[in-house]
Amino acid sequence: MEKACIDINQLINVFSNYEGAVYQSDKLNCFYVDFGGKFARYNCLSLQKLKKVVEEIDIEALLLNTHRADFELVTFNGCEHVYLLNALEIIALKDLLHGTFTMFNLNHIVNDCLYRLVY
Amino acid sequence: MKDLMRIKCLISEDIETLLNQQIKKEAHSSSLYLSMASWCNQNGYDFSSDYFTKQSEEERMHQLKLFKYVLDMGGNAISPEVTGIKTDFAGFREVFEDALEAEIAITQSFKNLASRCLKEQDFVTMEFLNWFLKEQREEEYKARRALELFEVIGEEGTGRWEIDKHVNDITYSED
Ligand SMILES: [Fe+2]
Ligand SMILES: [Fe+2]
Repeated sequence: MEKACIDINQLINVFSNYEGAVYQSDKLNCFYVDFGGKFARYNCLSLQKLKKVVEEIDIEALLLNTHRADFELVTFNGCEHVYLLNALEIIALKDLLHGTFTMFNLNHIVNDCLYRLVY
Repeated sequence: MKDLMRIKCLISEDIETLLNQQIKKEAHSSSLYLSMASWCNQNGYDFSSDYFTKQSEEERMHQLKLFKYVLDMGGNAISPEVTGIKTDFAGFREVFEDALEAEIAITQSFKNLASRCLKEQDFVTMEFLNWFLKEQREEEYKARRALELFEVIGEEGTGRWEIDKHVNDITYSED
């Protein structure tokens, strides 16, 4: 599915790091998160939810707590995808989503300057 | 590349978070006022009990006004969890002291929200907030005036009975 999907919908790479990438489809108004062996589709709302859920994971607490495994189940209500990630992967996902939303903000500024504020 | 997040929602994530915090604070105020109404009623201050019940309804209205705005702008409005409401007060005066303190906290919170709007140049939300900034003038004024009754009338003798009777007379007019 991965490569085919990228070609057909002309996905734009929003941000990538060493563990994964996030793509945007202007045609379908959605995003694809390529991470943890999954190529998962998200809309605006669910991507924001994913970011919130991942941001809230306390890496330090996860590593210091000896009564549980160093894995975390990442999902949320209404999300079709489930990730089982270790601490390093969570750090990578945090970084990926942080970078992605930074690029969204940058793109917002670029759109303002190039199209919306020109007269 | 399309600006999908902006297409979906007028307000930024930061503003949305602050507005949701404000929704929670208004819900907290509403519950706190209801708690004060209960205490006043049980201690024989019927007029003050009515006063705080009305205040509670107003705070609920504030909460819903913010809630609607977040949704109207395409954001995610969160129904808040309200916990830790004070139910016992040391005395009649303390109820009014707490009420003023709560209103001051709300004013400060709105000022903080407004400064964030200006920083982001979110003039749309800023304009929406003006209603609340103006409302806080009245809210603080009323709470302060109520507390001043304790100085003017005094708590001795029938003082508290007298204060209770006059709480509902406090009105604010701009002119
Ligand atoms: Fe309020
Ligand atoms: Fe208030």
